[in-house]
Amino acid sequence: MDTILAMLTIFTQPELLVLVGVGTFAGIYIGAIPGLSVTMAVSILISFTFSWDVYPAISLMVGIYMGGVYGGSRTAILLNIPGAPSAIATAMDGYPMAKRGEAGQAIGVTTVMSFFGGLIGILVLALAAPFVSDFALTFQPRDYMLLAVLGILLVGSLSSGSLVKGIFAGALGIAIGAVGRDPLTFTERFTFDLQIMEGGISFIAVMIGMFGVSEALLQLQNVGMKAVRQKISKIVPSFGTIRKYLPLSLQTSSIGVIIGALPGTGGDIAALMAYDHAKRVTKNPERPFGEGAMEGLVAPETANNAAVGGAFIPMMTLGIPGDAVTAIMIGALFIHGLNPGPMLMIDQPDMFWFIVGALLTANVFMLIFGLTGIKIFTKIVEMPRSVIIPLILLLSIVGAYAVNNSISDVYWMLGFGVFGYFMRHYGYPLGPVILGVILSRLLDDNWRRAIISEREDLGRFFEGIFTSPLSLVLFVAVILIFVSQTPLWMSMKRRVFGKATS
Amino acid sequence: MDPDFRGDSDHHDGTSDATPGGYTEQRRPGELGFAIFLSVASLFLLYSAYGISGFEALSAPGAVPMATTLVMAVAALVVTARTARFPLVPTETLGKDILPPLVLVFIGFLILFGLLLKPLGFVPTAAIFLVVSVKLLARKGWGYTFAVALGSLVIIWIVFRVIFTVLLPAGILPEAEFIQFFRNLVSGGAS
Repeated sequence: MDTILAMLTIFTQPELLVLVGVGTFAGIYIGAIPGLSVTMAVSILISFTFSWDVYPAISLMVGIYMGGVYGGSRTAILLNIPGAPSAIATAMDGYPMAKRGEAGQAIGVTTVMSFFGGLIGILVLALAAPFVSDFALTFQPRDYMLLAVLGILLVGSLSSGSLVKGIFAGALGIAIGAVGRDPLTFTERFTFDLQIMEGGISFIAVMIGMFGVSEALLQLQNVGMKAVRQKISKIVPSFGTIRKYLPLSLQTSSIGVIIGALPGTGGDIAALMAYDHAKRVTKNPERPFGEGAMEGLVAPETANNAAVGGAFIPMMTLGIPGDAVTAIMIGALFIHGLNPGPMLMIDQPDMFWFIVGALLTANVFMLIFGLTGIKIFTKIVEMPRSVIIPLILLLSIVGAYAVNNSISDVYWMLGFGVFGYFMRHYGYPLGPVILGVILSRLLDDNWRRAIISEREDLGRFFEGIFTSPLSLVLFVAVILIFVSQTPLWMSMKRRVFGKATS
Repeated sequence: MDPDFRGDSDHHDGTSDATPGGYTEQRRPGELGFAIFLSVASLFLLYSAYGISGFEALSAPGAVPMATTLVMAVAALVVTARTARFPLVPTETLGKDILPPLVLVFIGFLILFGLLLKPLGFVPTAAIFLVVSVKLLARKGWGYTFAVALGSLVIIWIVFRVIFTVLLPAGILPEAEFIQFFRNLVSGGAS
């Protein structure tokens, strides 16, 4: 009963309901406008909602997250530019559909399927999280440490090209998180005897720099690029169409939730795997995949929205984020004095149920806004970049400044912005950096706790790992990811799969 | 699914989170230099991490920093070695594709923004920044520039200063009076 009441908190305070609605609406457009990303929006928003109560702040961010994952599909369909990583797969069949003049139908099906996937993800979150957090209470410090390492590695390896670059980015994030005085012994780390470094680097400055400034600087090169105007007619899909793809969407939603729930893997990977799955199980698509197959649209869109609910599972129960956006959400919870992890579920179950309620509401808003307002939508997407870019930069500066009212944060942000700009150009993923920064403390604390409890003995530490099934599984997973990068493994892979996969 | 898939072949510049830039089998101008820079910086950080507590104990404050910087250094060296073997992308140059003048100009703008923010205050600094950058990017008449720049500044100021109650340096403008005026208008807000 308490649970239901907590879930319904959102309806008892109209203000919260409005915030979720506004957030979802904004999220759809932010996801859809090329050059704006959800990660960027949420990182900038943290600093603005900093002084708010926790409920309104979360409402807004949940709305933006949910809306943004969906909104990314719109640009993927209309412009062939995935607005969010999770929409990469959507572009493969969505854009060909739009080219045939079926953009409206593509958007309609995407919307309904996203809603459906989102719903399944949230249901699984509500059912599974309490069990996972009970289970998580039995985790040893070393398990947390291994989970954190695994999370960072997975983000680095699966979300984009080179794993070595991903590993570098993750390690860099951990190092950035370690700057300042060590919380346990008060020893200075990476401060170079500078006073400004003693308090550490504000992770918000890092985030806004990497996702806001660097992106805006990149966009400067495409100032002249115009959005393509697409004629969009009827978008509400018929019930028959929905029913036809229901079995497939059930399967792909399950893929989405499971992938989303793995620490370190989020909607982007879920969407690609679901796309792959759809390709395998669909024997006779009406049109071949890659040329506008409806299945190729349904699969990634259900999966990426289902992954939202999934991603909240490790975030809420273990304090380990599923992707860059959930990493930033964890940062937001920290700022509001909450500590995501198994204890949060026990100490403040209301908080958890409130988030579930907010997600559900955001999902409904997404459906409503997705199927209406197409006219305004095309207008907003056509907003010229010559105005958007200066605005992003301005908001980034305000955001970085606002958290601590310090100019030095603005310079950190700028520094990381320029650094992130080069990282993007040269194919270094930015997600692992943020995950590293967020998880740095957790990793460091748990490593030290684990090794102290084994009396500083590495032998006993590994004995502990090999005698606990959970630790062993995590350890093997970490090792496998590393091994997959060694030349020996690569040459084996080449021999098995042929040269094309190298 | 090819893990190196990055949207499509036209998006190598990393213009969205979804499509990190770079090529898989070629190197872009400056990529090798960046990799060498990362290697040197990582080795320096490794040295610095060693300085925290050396090999005192596995649970010492320097243990995790040493491990991570070691990983960074090794990874950066591997990347450098790999990058060095790739051929250059023939169609790109550093000044055109990686660091065009416009980007440098904007980095300069942002530094100036930071310098002026405290003494001048948020509203005048932001107004100058928006007018100059919209003029530079849109290349339209002054009427359009001023209307767009100042219009959006007013919206931003109302949203963030009044609704989000973000503290911004007041500088030379008597902000407090304005705010009280707006507070009375939007009584309640989200505070």
